[in-house]
Amino acid sequence: MALPWQSSSTGLHEGGFRREVDFILYLMSRGDLEESLFLIERLKASDPVRADSLNYLEGWVLYRQQRLMASAMRLLNVSESSPVYHKSRLFGAYNLAHSGNTVRAASELTSVRVNKGSMPAAMKNLQMGGVALLRRDLDTYLLHQEEFSGGFHVMALEERRMHQHYETIRDNPPRSPFIGGLLSAAVPGLGRVYAGKAPEGIVSFLYVAALGALSYDIYRGKGPGHPLFIVSASATGIFYLGNIAGGAAAVRRMNNEFRYEIDQRILFDMHIPLRNAFN
Amino acid sequence: MRLISVFCLICIFLCATPLTERLFAEGSGKWLERADSLYGEGLWFEASIAYERVYYLSDDAQQRVLANLRKAEAMKQSGEFSRAAGDLQRSLVFTADDSLRAEVLYQLALCFYLDGDYSASRSFIMQLRHDRGNSSGRQEVFLLEGLVMSAQSQWNEIAGHLDYWLLESGAPGMVRDSIVQYYKVNFLLGQPDSIPDPGRAKLFSTFIPGTGQVYAGAPGWGVLNAASQLASLGAFGLMALNGYYIAAVIAGLGPFQAFYFGGIRQAGEIAEQKRNSRLVSFRAAVDGFLINVAAELEN
Repeated sequence: MALPWQSSSTGLHEGGFRREVDFILYLMSRGDLEESLFLIERLKASDPVRADSLNYLEGWVLYRQQRLMASAMRLLNVSESSPVYHKSRLFGAYNLAHSGNTVRAASELTSVRVNKGSMPAAMKNLQMGGVALLRRDLDTYLLHQEEFSGGFHVMALEERRMHQHYETIRDNPPRSPFIGGLLSAAVPGLGRVYAGKAPEGIVSFLYVAALGALSYDIYRGKGPGHPLFIVSASATGIFYLGNIAGGAAAVRRMNNEFRYEIDQRILFDMHIPLRNAFN
Repeated sequence: MRLISVFCLICIFLCATPLTERLFAEGSGKWLERADSLYGEGLWFEASIAYERVYYLSDDAQQRVLANLRKAEAMKQSGEFSRAAGDLQRSLVFTADDSLRAEVLYQLALCFYLDGDYSASRSFIMQLRHDRGNSSGRQEVFLLEGLVMSAQSQWNEIAGHLDYWLLESGAPGMVRDSIVQYYKVNFLLGQPDSIPDPGRAKLFSTFIPGTGQVYAGAPGWGVLNAASQLASLGAFGLMALNGYYIAAVIAGLGPFQAFYFGGIRQAGEIAEQKRNSRLVSFRAAVDGFLINVAAELEN
């Protein structure tokens, strides 16, 4: 893909701007990203074409530095007339999605202009499907999924995988922290087992059982009014209540872990086709 | 009239084009001057970019090596030793000027040493020796090799290196012998051995609680750990004798096993820390000695 300063129609082949951009590209190819950014920030854009070039370059350097929000802000400033318009907009929206700003990512993707049937159109659709899954908006995802054609090899595999993610999300609804707490109240540690954390559940059970046994031992020897029994029984009660709260928290944690793992897979399958198509 | 027009055009060109463009037009020589000036002002980051620009613009291989070396200097000032070494490796193919090549090899060895990659540093010193033979006998090369040996804890090898270094530097035989002897007596005989050995400290604490910590040089921790174990065992016995068997196991044996196994682990950690700190101070003393030798030879 031709960049603005590589296009003869932009008139940027002449002059210091083009030479400076060439040097910046050289630095970027060496991985000298801080140096590239330093030089880009010192360049002034005297016309919209140069502004596009600088926005794109800065956005791309920031993307390579994994400063995704800052990168998105730059890439989304690239105008429609630029040859790197689609790349910039799609990467900008991806950066927003990766940073957790899925609402804005969806709105930016909606505003990307594409020709029907083109590769950017299919890419936009895949990205919008991915963003819908990240938002757990399964109905919207299905609308986009209908347009998955498998016709572009750069994203055919990811389109199939995106649907697998959809099925995983559909088949694994979040578990209830309330049930986790309830189970731990019935049998200490059972809420954690319900959350898929059996070893934690066993440890939790052993703690409460050991304290309970200790209290019983003291109760047996000293009776219910003895200060030692009051202290140990109180400790047992605190651990028991903590075990209930822990059961609910374990379920919440499991839900979050599951969500994070699926989100990472979705983002991966949004990212790979972008890299393959536009690099 | 024509001359005036040309003069006006030149003036407009000089005023209208930015500094960058002018410098580009004037070539890499101007950038080298600018880079040197930035370096002189202590602007290491800006200077390193300017030197890289010279490397990028220049068609003269020698100037490129020179720019690369100066860039490495600027990067060293910023503490970016690894990147400086990476950049310097670009100039390894340059063979037209022996002294420049030797400088590249020396700087590579130095950057790797500063980056903590002692094996790589050693390999470039060996390459320097191979390239230049005995004529590579610059004080700083000998010093760097000694420092690398010190970093690699090759205390015995340093004695031989010192002897060779002094011989190559033309030091009189008596002076040479006395310096090498001084090193052997003050450093080689007192070099840090494996004491305190973490394994042994753990073993001591396994059989007699607290003794591992005492052996590692932390008697306070040893006494505290032994007392904790005795107290928890005492609590266990007292509760068991009074018929509180469950309480004895949970509140007596529970803490005891934690103190016992924790004590063993702690003894090992303390021994490890002591050994490392002894090694660091010994290495610093050897480095200081080698630097003093270099300074004396320089004078």
